[in-house]
Amino acid sequence: MTTALQTRVWAALAEINDPEMPVNLVDLGLIYGIEVVGGMVRLRLTFTAMGCPATDMIMGDIRDRLLAEPGVESVAIEIVWDPPWTSARLTPDGRGALLAWGLSV
Amino acid sequence: MESSNSVTFETLLKRGELIESRSEMTPDYLRELKHTLIVSGDTELISAPAYYLAARKAPSVNAFMTGIAIIQDELAHAHIAYHILEELGESQEALIFKRDPKAFRYPYAFDVPLESWTELVVANAMYDQAGFCLLGDIHDQCSYGPWKRGLVKVMAEENFHLRNGRNWSKRISQAGGAAREELQRAVDWMFPLTVEWFGLPDDLKQHSAQLEYRLKGLTNDQLRQQWLSTVVPFMESIGIRVPAHRDGDAYVLDYPFPCTFDAPAKRWDFKDPCTWDSVMARWRARGPRNAEMVALFQESFSKFQVRA
Repeated sequence: MTTALQTRVWAALAEINDPEMPVNLVDLGLIYGIEVVGGMVRLRLTFTAMGCPATDMIMGDIRDRLLAEPGVESVAIEIVWDPPWTSARLTPDGRGALLAWGLSV
Repeated sequence: MESSNSVTFETLLKRGELIESRSEMTPDYLRELKHTLIVSGDTELISAPAYYLAARKAPSVNAFMTGIAIIQDELAHAHIAYHILEELGESQEALIFKRDPKAFRYPYAFDVPLESWTELVVANAMYDQAGFCLLGDIHDQCSYGPWKRGLVKVMAEENFHLRNGRNWSKRISQAGGAAREELQRAVDWMFPLTVEWFGLPDDLKQHSAQLEYRLKGLTNDQLRQQWLSTVVPFMESIGIRVPAHRDGDAYVLDYPFPCTFDAPAKRWDFKDPCTWDSVMARWRARGPRNAEMVALFQESFSKFQVRA
């Protein structure tokens, strides 16, 4: 069951842009799952590559944004590499944003 | 109807239209455009060895990868400028691999060695901010269409460099102690070097062909103020002192501008004002790391040439 807080957490994540590209983390397909227990958010996150240069920035942005959300007391991020990210994980909006920016996806 | 022949080049420029090809340009415009592109390409290119020599001191693998990604971006930005220069009749190969180190036209700041991760991230926070101001102005105002459009991606990537600089500067300041003192020392010598990056003050620069041809839109002092208005509040917000303060609508430097700089010691003498002629002489002579950095990308070039 999706709780109200879970819905707000998804919306908050959709406000965070990738530091290198004009696309948000949800449309980029980096979020593998969210679990909310009380005030704790457990988040399963991947990156587009193991050599991603922006991992610290992305995790910092997620913590800062989610901790600003009323009802969120702590954020636990689990990095997931399986299944690996591919461009198939882009949402249609994410694909459109990257195409508009000049990347072929 | 106005015939295209009667529309002079100057009229096109004044109307705010974009110049798209070499055939439309006057020889003077072409020369000034090439000069501006060379400064931009050289600045992006030299930042790669300058940053690389410091990125080796990264405190973690993740931090190193961020540093390397920034260097890759800078090389791609240099390529945009040199590629346009090639379309305008210059040889990329000659520009990059055949020029004397002293003939490169990047800001003097890069000639002073960045020797630690701290100095690298301060460069990301201050030098890349200078690049952001200068390129942002060209992106907004430049009359040459291909360059203006090529800068869209460059601006987004420079933003990533700035974030790296600011995030790490903040983190190092929060660590306190010796780490914070090292950060303050880096800002102490790098801040005035970035202030002079924007060149002669407007009251000494009577004529600017770059402004006349709308290659850029803002004057040296306007760009310097823009830089100060972002860097001063940021440094103050993380508890780092800078020798400038806000006075009404403008930022004022707390030291004589220009004054003398001891490059090997990385030290400014705020008690020893100097003339712009002596600053220009220092710039022309280039600084300590000029030859080493140019050699980094030039030395292997001829070795792997296949002879015809």
